[in-house]
Amino acid sequence: MNALTLLRYLPWIVVSVFFLFSSVIFVVDETDQAIITRLGAYKRTIQNPGLNLKIPFLEKANFFEKRILTSGALPAEYLTLDKKRLVADHVTRWKIVDPLLFYKTVRDLAGAKARLDDIVLSEMRRELASHDFSKIISSERENIMDTIASHARTQAKEFGIDIVDVRIKRADLPQEVQDSVFARMMAERQRIAKRYRSEGEEEAFKLRGETDKNRTILMAKAYEESQKLRGEGDATAAKVYAEAFSQDPVFYTFVRSLEAYEKSFNDKSTMLLSPDSDFLKHLRETYSQKS
Amino acid sequence: MPNENERPAAPDEQVINLLMSVLKNRGALFLIGVVGVLAWLGSGFFIISPGQQGIIRQFGKEIRIASAGLNWRFPSPIERVSIVNVEQVRRLEVGFGRQVPEENVYMRREVMRSDAMMLTGDENIVEAQIIVQYKVKDPVKYLFRLRDPEGTLYTATEVALRSAVGRSTIDDVLTTGRLKVQEETRKFLQRLMDDYESGLFITEVRLQVVDPPDQVKNAFHEVVRAREDRERFINEAKGYQEDLIPRARGEAQKMLREAEGHKEEKVLKAQGDTVRFKALLGEYGKSKEVTWNRLQLETLERILPRANKVIIDPKTGSNALPLIPVQNSSFLDAFKDKSAISAPTKEGVI
Repeated sequence: MNALTLLRYLPWIVVSVFFLFSSVIFVVDETDQAIITRLGAYKRTIQNPGLNLKIPFLEKANFFEKRILTSGALPAEYLTLDKKRLVADHVTRWKIVDPLLFYKTVRDLAGAKARLDDIVLSEMRRELASHDFSKIISSERENIMDTIASHARTQAKEFGIDIVDVRIKRADLPQEVQDSVFARMMAERQRIAKRYRSEGEEEAFKLRGETDKNRTILMAKAYEESQKLRGEGDATAAKVYAEAFSQDPVFYTFVRSLEAYEKSFNDKSTMLLSPDSDFLKHLRETYSQKS
Repeated sequence: MPNENERPAAPDEQVINLLMSVLKNRGALFLIGVVGVLAWLGSGFFIISPGQQGIIRQFGKEIRIASAGLNWRFPSPIERVSIVNVEQVRRLEVGFGRQVPEENVYMRREVMRSDAMMLTGDENIVEAQIIVQYKVKDPVKYLFRLRDPEGTLYTATEVALRSAVGRSTIDDVLTTGRLKVQEETRKFLQRLMDDYESGLFITEVRLQVVDPPDQVKNAFHEVVRAREDRERFINEAKGYQEDLIPRARGEAQKMLREAEGHKEEKVLKAQGDTVRFKALLGEYGKSKEVTWNRLQLETLERILPRANKVIIDPKTGSNALPLIPVQNSSFLDAFKDKSAISAPTKEGVI
């Protein structure tokens, strides 16, 4: 074989060698797994990544995802235990654990998703129907999810699928109910607003009442104290007077009466005087008559 | 090696001649081969920047991780490298109406709009927006264990947030419970992402906005206003208190001072009066009759000029009474400055 002949056939050689190699050698990636079928009959499963060999032309490698996959569904309406309507959607995370079984039963991802949706949806319907709306929204949410996931997991096993979890993403009231929820929310807020206002007034009345009371007490105490002081003054005065005046009561009476007279007569008073009175006596009496 | 000749039997004589000469020259052939191999091996160099990691796969199998600096691997198709930044803090926003593509998760415009709406535990509706910050913690998991980690994170964030909000009441979510919701969301989200072997680490979950929906916003503002009103009412009452009490205290003090004044006055007056009386009494003791009469007369002297006087002789009887219009002013004037004694004389009743 001379060089020219080699050159002529080189492309053919390269192509056929490449083709032979690629039909014998194949790579399973970290993200993949594969099953080898020989003329349609299952031969083996390859789940570890790396370089692999197969018989060219006779054997075929079918690749499957090894990563965790997602399958979601549009929101659907469910009926809860307390006969309320609930709009919920779900997301299922799953992976292919048995590629052979998977290949046999659902063949590809689209088929698997359809089956999974069926399973999860019916589990959702069953599980949500046995719980009250409020529980689904709040406290029981995770338990419900776990229950659905474990039921679905059992069923999905026959497809070579392992369900990681099922989660409700949104759980809402139906659109038509939303308006009444809004109305209820508004009523509730109005109630709270009213409560705040009347609480304010309550507190204000309390404070005002307390203030009035304190003021009244304050004034009464002051009155009490002042009366006491006045009384003390009066008493002391009386004592002083009594002590002094008791030295000569007759003279005191005389002097005090004079003072009283002086005070009680004013220019509106009229005095009727008898010429016989002692006061006018000296108008009448002569010296010889003096007593 | 010369790949350009894969096409069968290039008819171009010149090219064939050239190749023929190359092939005939074994040295040249060897050189080409060596250069080709070196070039191929040289394409195996790659640079990892700080904060990045290079995951190297040999025939699809992860074999080692290259750290920062110049690295080399067997070139494609034997080994491949995927470079992941493990220091960079990435950011994801949920509830802002942005679309994040995730395979097989429904995506409709109207759904996106109400993305932020969710039910609270007491069956109220709130709108919440959340920002998630995360890092790639485990690049191997991040690359090979979960399809579409970012999209999954988006969905998981929604799941975790709704679950946390669902466990709270609306008042908590809107006010004091925000931090709790945030923390619950973060924990739950991290747990989910670990379950999914995402290799992601949630560094922070931050609730941006938590609001009541537009339809009921007014009612919520009304509550805020009512709360302000409550404070106002209380403050007004406190104002009343602060206005009234000090004034009352002042009044009370005034009352007390007056009483004290009264007391002092009484005592002092009494003392004055008694001193005076005692002095007088001393004089009286010396000459009783004279003093007695003098006092009597002096008093009359002071009283009578002010009063109207009528002198009636009891012998004329009481039938003369009342007989004189004593309130007559001219009559009074006539006696204004007269002494008590002369006045009756002028009256001429005697």
